[in-house]
Parts: sequence; C-alpha cells; structure tokens
Amino acid sequence: MKNIRLLIIASIGNNLRLKTVGIVFIIVTLVIAALLVILFCILLIEPAVSTASPDRADLELYLGLIMYSTCFLTLGVNLNSYGFQSMTREKTRGNIESLLATPIKIKDIWIAKGLAIFIPGLVIGEIFTLITLIAVNYIYFIPGTGFIINPWIVVNSFIAAPLVYLCLGLLVYLIGLTGKPATGNIIAQIFLPVMINIVIQLILHTNILTSTSWSFATANIGLALVIIIITFFLQPRLTKEKIVLSC
Amino acid sequence: MNSAISIENIKKTLGNREVLKGISFTVEKKDIFGYLGPNGAGKTTTIRILLGLLQADSGKLNILGQDINLSETRMKIGFVLDKDGLYDSMTAEENLKFYSRIYRLSEASVKFDKLLRMVNLDDRAKDKVSTYSRGMRQRLTLARAMVHDPEVLVMDEPTAGVDPSGQIEIRQIMLDVAHRENKTIFLSSHNLDEVQRICNRIALIDRGEIKLYGNLESLRQKMGRGGVVIKTTKIIPESLLAELKKLTYLGLKERKEKSLIFSPRKGTGVSDIISFLASRDIKIEEAVKREASLEEMYAAILKEAEPS
Repeated sequence: MKNIRLLIIASIGNNLRLKTVGIVFIIVTLVIAALLVILFCILLIEPAVSTASPDRADLELYLGLIMYSTCFLTLGVNLNSYGFQSMTREKTRGNIESLLATPIKIKDIWIAKGLAIFIPGLVIGEIFTLITLIAVNYIYFIPGTGFIINPWIVVNSFIAAPLVYLCLGLLVYLIGLTGKPATGNIIAQIFLPVMINIVIQLILHTNILTSTSWSFATANIGLALVIIIITFFLQPRLTKEKIVLSC
Repeated sequence: MNSAISIENIKKTLGNREVLKGISFTVEKKDIFGYLGPNGAGKTTTIRILLGLLQADSGKLNILGQDINLSETRMKIGFVLDKDGLYDSMTAEENLKFYSRIYRLSEASVKFDKLLRMVNLDDRAKDKVSTYSRGMRQRLTLARAMVHDPEVLVMDEPTAGVDPSGQIEIRQIMLDVAHRENKTIFLSSHNLDEVQRICNRIALIDRGEIKLYGNLESLRQKMGRGGVVIKTTKIIPESLLAELKKLTYLGLKERKEKSLIFSPRKGTGVSDIISFLASRDIKIEEAVKREASLEEMYAAILKEAEPS
C-alpha cells in the first residue's frame, strides 16, 4: 500500500506539472461538457420548464441525465487524453522499465498508475458535475418547484459513473501496459460514445433504468463488475516480460 | 562466494529468434566487466535478464549468490538502462528522493548532496531534469543507480549519445565508483575505447554467443594478435618487399613509408625479423613490440564469426 500511495502521488505530481497538457485537458473538457449541458438544456429542460405546470419528476430525470453525462464525459476525456498521454510517455521514456527493475511489485505499478490517471479526471469530473447541478438549478429556478435534486442522481453521477470509469481505467491501463498503449486507448475511445448513447436511450425511452432510480445505479455497478471480471481474466498477461517487450 | 554475477548456459528466444544461445560468464566482485558486442548481439537482452525484466528460457543466473527475482537481491543492484527513465518535470534531487522512497529508505539515510556532488550535478540539483543535456541526464541516472548504495551496478551503454567531454566525465565517475566505493560494475558498451580504458575483464557477445571472455591482458596474449613495428632509416625497395611477403612466417602486414608492421607466426621472434633485414643491409632505427588493441581483437573475432 505504501508503494502504491507513493507512486500515485509521484505520478499525479508528475502529470500535473506538465502544465500545458493539464490546461489543454481542462479547457477541452470544459468546452465539451458545457456544449453537452447546453444541448441537453435546450432539448430537454427548456421544453419541460416552459409548460404551464412543470413536472418535477421530469426535471429530475433530465437533470440526472445531464449530470451523469457530464461526469461520464469528463472521466472519458481524461482517460482518452491525459491518461493515454501519460501512459505512452512513461513507457517510451523508460520510467516504467526503470520501476520494474526496482523491488516494487508489478501489480503495485499497475494499480498506482491506473489510479493516477483516474484521480485527476475524478476531481475535475466531480467539480464540473457539481457546477452543472448548481448552474442548471440557478438558471431554471422555478419558485414552486424549488431546488431540483434526488439522492439517486447524486449516487449515479458522483459514485456510479466514476466507479465504471475506475474499473475501465484499470482495464485500459492493463492493456496499454502489456501491449500498445494505443490498443487501450481505442477501447476507451469506443466505450465513451457508445456508453453515452446507450445511457441516453435507456433513460429517455425506458421507465426502469432512469437517472433517478436505484436500478440505474445497480446497472452501473453491474457494468463495473463485468469490467473487473474481464480485467481479472487478463491479469495473467501482467508480466514484466510483456511490459518490457512492449516498451 | 566471490562472484558478483554468475550466468550459466542462459538461453532466451524472443519470437522466432534465439537471442541468447547458452551464454555463460562470471563477474567477480569489484570487477569492471565490459560486455561488448555489435547491435543486435544480445547485450540488452542479457541486461534485462540480469535485472529480472526478462526470464531466461533455461540456464542459471545468480547475483551475489541470490535469485534476482527476490526483492532483497534487487536492493543490491543499481542500474542504468538505455532509456534513462527520469521524471522530466522533477528536479534532480526530487528524482533521487523518489527512488530512495521506492527502495524504502528514509530521506535522512541517503546523502543526496554527496551523490549529486559525485556526478558533478550539485549546482543543478534544484533544476528540472527537462533542462538537462544528455550527458547530465546520464550522470543523474548514475547517481540514481547509487541511491540505495548497491553492491553491483549494471549499465547499458551509459555513454551512448554523450559528447566526448561528457563521456570522459562519466568514465571517471564509473572509475571512482568502482575503486572508491568498491562496487562491481557490469558495463555493456560498443565503445571499445571506453571498455579498454576502464574494464579489467571482458566478454564479447556476437549473435547470442560469447566469443571472447576473460581478463583483457591475458586475452591479448592468448589471441596473439599483437605485432612488431620496425622503423628503418630508408624506404624499403619493392624487390625486398616482395621477398618479405614470400616469407610468410615473418607475417608482413603493412608498409608505411619507413615503417614495416609484422605479425609474426608463433615461434618467430623479433630477432628473426631483425636478422633478416640486417642480412639485406637494411639499417634499423627502432623495433617496437605492439600489443593488439581491443578493436583489432574485436574485428578479428567478428570477422571469424562471419558466415563464409
């Protein structure tokens, strides 16, 4: 655990010191997230608020969708850009190979590096999601309806979405570490739009998996479990030889 | 147990290519062991096996009498790999501190100042590594390799890509480390001059096989590829040169103005050459016995290994 903590701190510190990459990542994520929120607001919230008697359940559903998507998108962009860049850089510059020659365990390196690319995205994702929650409530404040919030929106946006991306991050890092980083990146790149699309379809067109329901949280946890199982089966690939030869 | 590294019949195949075909050698404690070979000979694969980064298909490997896969053994080995693996956004001191924590050392127990002074980077300790030249980076990598005070240092071409003055500096540091700190150094290089200057024992690998192995001085004698340079007072006439060429036991190799270079056969001495020349009224100014350079030995072995 001590080694994992040490590697996470060092890796995050090292990644954050690459200011240009950090600034570009934050700006790109902010622009994409803002566009997504604006689009959803125009297409969903505006018509719902414009009705004579706005339905709170509908507003919660749409807000839940917006918040979940914002967090999911931020985490996805982080993994695709910042995480991929960090992994590629560390492999090509010999940082990983050097660490493997020390007494540190190979699994510690994998977990620590996987967490190190996930944590910055988590922090930024949670901040953006929180800002979205406050901004949407502020802009579309309806005196009779009050502050729109629901416990399952919080669970789905702040816990379930990050959990899926945590598991995906570890899987992608495992694949990238033992093979070409681009392979891991392709998986992450395909996952993001496909998942967002599925989530939108589910939330808007089913009555069961809604962004304000426990079933949606369960579905996310289930997805995280599936990714963990895949990761577990791929774990035997995690050998020094595979990593070194792929560097 | 005097050997620092012991390799016995190590074989390794990568893909369809047999990279190491059963190599064996021993590096004694406090040796500066040169590991020579052309590109693709198997040097880096050997180093990766030594550091536990690759597993040998068969054979035995011991570092200080222990298995390399033990974390206890890794604590006794320092390394300089072909890619430095330094963190560019950290300073030199931060890089060393990071690795000291990896080796679970308390910061108080490591003399970072001394290490940075040893590699002449004490005045740049607080500068980010991204601002360093190639030579400075290599020196810092050397300091990093020493952070946990290992007994054995394994280095993969530490002077590659470094300018001549930087190479001299790195060589001097290696010598200091070996002699003052009593470390064993395993140095992989294709810089023959470097190996000749600082190593006491060598192994030459070509196409996955050890072609030459042992003490540098005894190898020179054993190879017998030295020669005799005879300087004469006047230029040798062509007729005499033709005569000399016919006497193959004298082994005339080259003529450079007033100098003749011989590589005599076993049993033929300098005196035989001198007496022959004297019998032809050639006055000799100087006769010097010349030892074979590592470069000549290297070239000869690689030439012998070439498929006919």
